[in-house]
Amino acid sequence: MAANPVAIRLEGISARFDHRVKGAVAAVDNVSLDVAPGELLTLLGPSGCGKTTTLRMIAGFQKPSAGRIQIGDQDVTEVMSNDRNIGFVFQNYALFPHLSVYENVAYGLRVRKLDDAAMRGAVGDVLALVGLKGYEGQMPHQLSGGEQQRVALARAIVIRPRVLLFDEPLSNLDAKLRVQMRGEIQRLQREVGITTVYVTHDQEEAMAISDRIAVMNKGVIAQLGSAEDLYQRPASAFVAKFIGRANLLRATVLARDGDRVTLDIAGRRHQAAATGAASSLGKTIQAVVRPEALAIDAAGAGASLPGTVVTRTYLGEKVEYLIAAGDETLQVVQLGPAEARRFPSGTSVGIRLPATGIHLIEEPEA
Amino acid sequence: MLWILLALFVVYPLAAMFGQAFLVDGRPSLAPLLSILALPNHRAAMWNSLVLGALVGVIGTAVGFLFAFTATRCNLPARWVRLLDVATLLPLISPPFTTSIAFVFSFGPRGLITYELLGVKGTNVYGLPSTLAAEVLTYFPIAYLALRPVLAAIGGNIEEMAFSLGSSRWRVFRTVTLPLTVPGLANAFLLLFAASLADFATPLILAGSRFPVLPTEAYLQITGLFDLKGGAVLSFLLLVPAAIVFLAQRYWVGRGHYVTVTGKSGAQSTLDGVSPGARAVLVAACAAVALSILYLYALLLYASVVVAFGANHALTLKHYVVIFTEGRKAIIDTLIIAFIGMPLGGLFGVLVGYLVARGEFRGRQAMEIASMVNYALPGTIVGIAYLIAFNDPPIALTGGALIIVACYVFRYSPTGTRTTIALLKQIDRGIEEASHSLGAGSFTTFRRVTLPLVLPAFFAGLGVVFIRSMTAISATIFLVSIDWVLITVRILENMTELSLGPAAAFSVFVIVLVMAVTSAISALLRRLPGPPGAASVAGLGG
Ligand SMILES: Nc1ncnc2c1ncn2[C@@H]1O[C@H](COP(=O)(O)OP(=O)(O)O)[C@@H](O)[C@H]1O
Ligand SMILES: [Mg+2]
Repeated sequence: MAANPVAIRLEGISARFDHRVKGAVAAVDNVSLDVAPGELLTLLGPSGCGKTTTLRMIAGFQKPSAGRIQIGDQDVTEVMSNDRNIGFVFQNYALFPHLSVYENVAYGLRVRKLDDAAMRGAVGDVLALVGLKGYEGQMPHQLSGGEQQRVALARAIVIRPRVLLFDEPLSNLDAKLRVQMRGEIQRLQREVGITTVYVTHDQEEAMAISDRIAVMNKGVIAQLGSAEDLYQRPASAFVAKFIGRANLLRATVLARDGDRVTLDIAGRRHQAAATGAASSLGKTIQAVVRPEALAIDAAGAGASLPGTVVTRTYLGEKVEYLIAAGDETLQVVQLGPAEARRFPSGTSVGIRLPATGIHLIEEPEA
Repeated sequence: MLWILLALFVVYPLAAMFGQAFLVDGRPSLAPLLSILALPNHRAAMWNSLVLGALVGVIGTAVGFLFAFTATRCNLPARWVRLLDVATLLPLISPPFTTSIAFVFSFGPRGLITYELLGVKGTNVYGLPSTLAAEVLTYFPIAYLALRPVLAAIGGNIEEMAFSLGSSRWRVFRTVTLPLTVPGLANAFLLLFAASLADFATPLILAGSRFPVLPTEAYLQITGLFDLKGGAVLSFLLLVPAAIVFLAQRYWVGRGHYVTVTGKSGAQSTLDGVSPGARAVLVAACAAVALSILYLYALLLYASVVVAFGANHALTLKHYVVIFTEGRKAIIDTLIIAFIGMPLGGLFGVLVGYLVARGEFRGRQAMEIASMVNYALPGTIVGIAYLIAFNDPPIALTGGALIIVACYVFRYSPTGTRTTIALLKQIDRGIEEASHSLGAGSFTTFRRVTLPLVLPAFFAGLGVVFIRSMTAISATIFLVSIDWVLITVRILENMTELSLGPAAAFSVFVIVLVMAVTSAISALLRRLPGPPGAASVAGLGG
């Protein structure tokens, strides 16, 4: 038999809550999603968009009000979470405060009635894997945040779960540790090869560790794809703004030939290679241009848009400008500022659009 | 099952009491109420109860505030704070009339101060002033415990902020500290008012016949005149203000009128909160109160080891011999009841707390309220209600140990319930879900995770049931019989028979025993594995 192509399948799952003021609210609304075996898929979205609720339904902590959930070959919609064989890492770690590090990690093995020798071996191995050898006798409150995080991770993977679920596991750590831990989580996930669903609201974190990212908004998946897909070809203004930073320019498509388009932007013609919005000839659309794709010229140079510098922020390896152009304010990033010219605030400048890498979105302005 | 128990031991007795008070020949009637109100003595008792409660509330809150302010603002050395804590803990764990007995030793006809020092003959210690003073000394620790966290929370940064804006210390106190403490003060006042209203033992010893109050009147109505109906009506009169105060207090605390200062309270303020002069005055005032408490307890100890206090001050152990021979039955009975009630009360408290905090069924709130009723009501009411409900078939329990145990369990387990709820609120649900996700079923999760985590609450609840079983009197004085005698009731009998030596010896014995058990439980709580702070949540509140 061929290997099953899906490790987790969500089929139209919804979660409705009775809200005191708003009545019945769908926190998750008819979400469908396939996760491939061994994949690390991230649910990314602003706070309150339904990420945690989706994850909790996969874990079985919460029953979907509609839809089906499949893990491997098994329909687990009606299966209790303790029979799903999953590993869950909580935002606040949820370590058992009355148990030592060893007993925390061994908990799932004891439930599975492993014999003592096998258990010692397994716990020792997994503690070595997360770099906590020698911490067996410590109590959770004696550990730092990063160490607690590792215990939570060890406790979840020692039972060799079919899937690993993370709910914002790094949000309680400081910025430096966050970057270090996300590297470790990624390394561990690759090493043990467990299918993983990871929840975060931090797009940088999501892009750093994920095979694929599902961007969620208001209970639905707005777009699913690799980090590159989402950054270069966002399907909506929401995704464009949520993944990285974006300038959204109103434009009319004057001509189109394959990926070559001629756009009318603020009354000026601009020719470029563009993606998206295939059948948009003659329509008004939005052009997504990333800040680092724009360049600044001295005023009046060539076919660039005229504008005025509002603020200039020097950040070492780059300089960020906010530039007022017509009724829009554009973000521009200059990399390698040592060589670039300085444009103090108040300066009249021209903004040069790129010849490639423009992505068109067909939707009314947000 | 819990519902049946709550119905039987909480709802049914109260209903029976109401029935007794307002039914004549099976028909509702106000006649008993009117006939009781017709007696001037009863009207006076009602008025006296309210006046006494208000005075104790005001003065006790003031003293409690003094202590709390001194403890949080004067940068006292740790040893001094410890002294304050001991002085405030003693009244909380003593039998309720210890202060009163010591008062008699100090200010009575042959009292240390009135007779020995001042040479006054034939003083009358009984009446409002001494009752008031004794109740203030007994109950102000409640205000202290309620106000201290409030003052600690609004300390530090907020006051520093005001200082930095140029206010003087006095101005900061007047414009920032005091207004922010007002809800806390109101809360403390209501707690003390309720405590005084419910207090039975102090007035019984100190109020005398010229200053009747409701609990003692109800007691005399029943034990002196064998008038159950009159007792029930008087209880009802007591219930009305008690219920009002209880509701008012819940309203203040529950509706967010209470100060909740979020965020960290900030490091210990580096500024001194008070000027050196004010500090000296505050410390001196606190020390005076603390020393008078310690003086009273020392006097009690002294009275227990002299032949006859006020007459013959030769040292002797004969009072202790008396309590361990003649008084043996009371000691053994009390201990049996305490040791049966302790685990039952602890378990019951934790179970109700768990169901209220984590259960998902309708009527959770009703269960919480029902479990709190006997705790919130004055003991006199509970005692009379039990007496009325369980005296006759269908459920005749009076005279046995069971009714006393039940009374303690349902009256004092709410501390365990409260602590359990507080602990479970602190413990993230995620911990239980983590257990589920690791493959453990509901039962395993409860046994291996939840139960160990609420263990501190269990022991705290247990401790409180034990302390109260050793010291309570207001409810159970109606329930004792020849077969089952309690130490506290014996102390009271000794006082009325003027055998003061044994009364003092009994009191000292109870205090020592309670302190031993309390510290054993505290030590146990510290040993329990778990997050730091779990034990402090479970701290043995009164
Ligand atoms: N138990 C619940 N009862 C009512 N509403 C809930 C509950 N859990 C979540 N919600 C609501 O569902 C929405 C999504 O929540 P959640 O999944 O936690 O968002 P996220 O994790 O993306 O921040 C929120 O609006 C939240 O208020
Ligand atoms: Mg969340």
